[in-house]
Amino acid sequence: MNLLDVRNLSIELLTNNKPILAVDKVSLTIKEGEVRGLVGESGSGKSLLAQAIMGVLDEKWHVDADRFHWRGNDLMRLSAEERKSIISNDVAMIFQEPMACLDPTATIGEQLEEAVDQQQFEGFFWKKRQQRKLEAINLLHKVGIKNHIQCLKSYPHQLTEALCQRVMIAMALAKKPLLLIADEPTAAMESTNQGQIFRLLASLNQLKNMSILLISHDLENVTHWTNTITVMYSGQFVEAGTTDQIFKQPFHPYTRALIDSSPTANIHIPTKSRLMTLPGSIPVLQHLPIGCRLGPRCPRAQRECVNSPKAKNHQGHQVSCHFSLKGSY
Amino acid sequence: MTDLLEVTNISKAYKLPSRWFKKRYIHALEPISFQIQAHKTLAIVGETGSGKSTLAKLLVGAETTTTGEIKLNGQSLHQGNFKQRCQHIRMIFQDSGTTLNPSLTIQQLLDEPLCLNTDLNEEERVQLIRETLHKVGLLAEHMNFYPHMFSGGQKQRVSLARAIILKPQVVILDEALGALDPSLRSQMINLLLDLQQQMGLAYILIGHNLGIVRHFSDDIIVLCQGQVVEQGKTLNVLNKPKHKYTKKLIMSQQYQLIHR
Ligand SMILES: Nc1ncnc2c1ncn2[C@@H]1O[C@H](COP(=O)(O)OP(=O)(O)OP(=O)(O)O)[C@@H](O)[C@H]1O
Ligand SMILES: Nc1ncnc2c1ncn2[C@@H]1O[C@H](COP(=O)(O)OP(=O)(O)OP(=O)(O)O)[C@@H](O)[C@H]1O
Ligand code: SF4
Ligand SMILES: [Mg+2]
Ligand SMILES: [Mg+2]
Repeated sequence: MNLLDVRNLSIELLTNNKPILAVDKVSLTIKEGEVRGLVGESGSGKSLLAQAIMGVLDEKWHVDADRFHWRGNDLMRLSAEERKSIISNDVAMIFQEPMACLDPTATIGEQLEEAVDQQQFEGFFWKKRQQRKLEAINLLHKVGIKNHIQCLKSYPHQLTEALCQRVMIAMALAKKPLLLIADEPTAAMESTNQGQIFRLLASLNQLKNMSILLISHDLENVTHWTNTITVMYSGQFVEAGTTDQIFKQPFHPYTRALIDSSPTANIHIPTKSRLMTLPGSIPVLQHLPIGCRLGPRCPRAQRECVNSPKAKNHQGHQVSCHFSLKGSY
Repeated sequence: MTDLLEVTNISKAYKLPSRWFKKRYIHALEPISFQIQAHKTLAIVGETGSGKSTLAKLLVGAETTTTGEIKLNGQSLHQGNFKQRCQHIRMIFQDSGTTLNPSLTIQQLLDEPLCLNTDLNEEERVQLIRETLHKVGLLAEHMNFYPHMFSGGQKQRVSLARAIILKPQVVILDEALGALDPSLRSQMINLLLDLQQQMGLAYILIGHNLGIVRHFSDDIIVLCQGQVVEQGKTLNVLNKPKHKYTKKLIMSQQYQLIHR
């Protein structure tokens, strides 16, 4: 069953002049127990999309969707407040900038204990307090922080970025969510520890059937852990499919370029030589190209590309491009 | 050929709040020595807390060394001589998003080091800022933006612009490439390699991604809890790791390749 089903979600930035369409009709489904990767260049609106799902965008942004279903319930019919309370009950998010999201004036211990779900405990309040403390320590151990005594009494600024990120993960897990949205959960860590966090998330996915939306700018980093992948570019939907479909036979020129530019994929070329890459950079919101936004950088672009392509579905492999690479395999 | 940067036995111990009269220290970095020549890249890899950022901070002078000596072009650098150092050794921090002053526009941010360290007039400074933004893949119109208007990866490019705008001799990249997306990262690697060839820059690359380290660096130092466990030519170390810690590090990245 679809846990989350979002169709054509758009996010507009309200400005003094015309509103800017930062996210342009992106669709996203997450099944129960699925790990979905959300991949795209930095600035492609991944965090915006995640924040829109969580309902935490401020009033500068206007969110609209053709469909927003959560566990079969149509959330579009509810007010923003009601929607947010349902979502925040079942969904937890690990935000991208952990330092900025932790409260600098409270210790990690205080913040973590506050995040722990109260209802699971029984007994008198001193007993509950004891249990809460144990649970907080337990969570820290889970995310691989062994020295919990030191960590619990530290303030966020006393910890490294990577440790803060782990604390954020512990706080997200404290709620025992059905869906975890992890926005670059391991960005500050190096590979041995990245593996550790991904393994933890994978085991929660297996044992607790927790669904995960894994957001990353780096395709190669997440492929090992995901069942399905959605690719975005500059606020537009690019391609979605199983990890194998995306990695072995990408239909979209952008996905193809992503895979070709990976340094680990280019292991056979001489060191210090130039790497393959798309020219140019992702457009700024104020100057978005019309039609397909990849147009100015796309090696296959033709005149038709000034009209936005519609997503086409080929046996669960969706692609949004007028001249997809489907025929070339 | 003289070494551009020569580091002898530098170490760092952080003082912790003392209990009673006993002083307590964290030995973040045990004595370490290395040399870098122009046109070369030294990679530093290791787990969280192994002292990589500490080493970087010692080199740029953001922290004082506990022991040891740093020589640039054969001249010893003193703790106080900050100005000389910050022109020649520039650093891009790990969490660069938070180190950009949020109340300044990108133009003001980039103007700051120019005003402090050069005699260029306003027109020349604007021109240089324009060129530098272009070099790192941003547009001239970004000059009037504030840092919060950028996404995470875009902020990283601003930090790179700020680091190279003074045409330094050594640039320290503390996880600076990790936050970039792949197509931009390869552009940036190409750019850094070009700049290295043109300007003879030396890089100290602190990073997680061994794919980049392998492609980009000449020498490598593997740190573990402040201690050097392996040091040598990158290809030798990565192809024939001797220490089990290095092996573990390499193994942990293999899974990323399985899919190909
Ligand atoms: N507060 C803001 N005001 C104006 N524009 C913004 C704001 N936050 C984000 N943007 C713009 O919205 C677009 C999408 O940003 P978003 O943070 O969602 O990107 P992202 O895909 O998460 O990138 P990254 O991988 O760098 O985190 C970017 O072009 C960014 O410049
Ligand atoms: N200002 C400080 N005061 C006390 N201890 C510190 C300070 N800064 C760093 N440390 C400690 O020094 C050790 C090395 O930290 P450092 O930031 O150099 O690690 P790192 O290798 O850069 O890790 P990461 O991969 O997380 O960036 C850590 O144990 C850290 O807790
Ligand atoms: S629609 Fe056109 S510009 Fe867009 S990706 Fe396809 S070929 Fe390229
Ligand atoms: Mg983001
Ligand atoms: Mg560091």
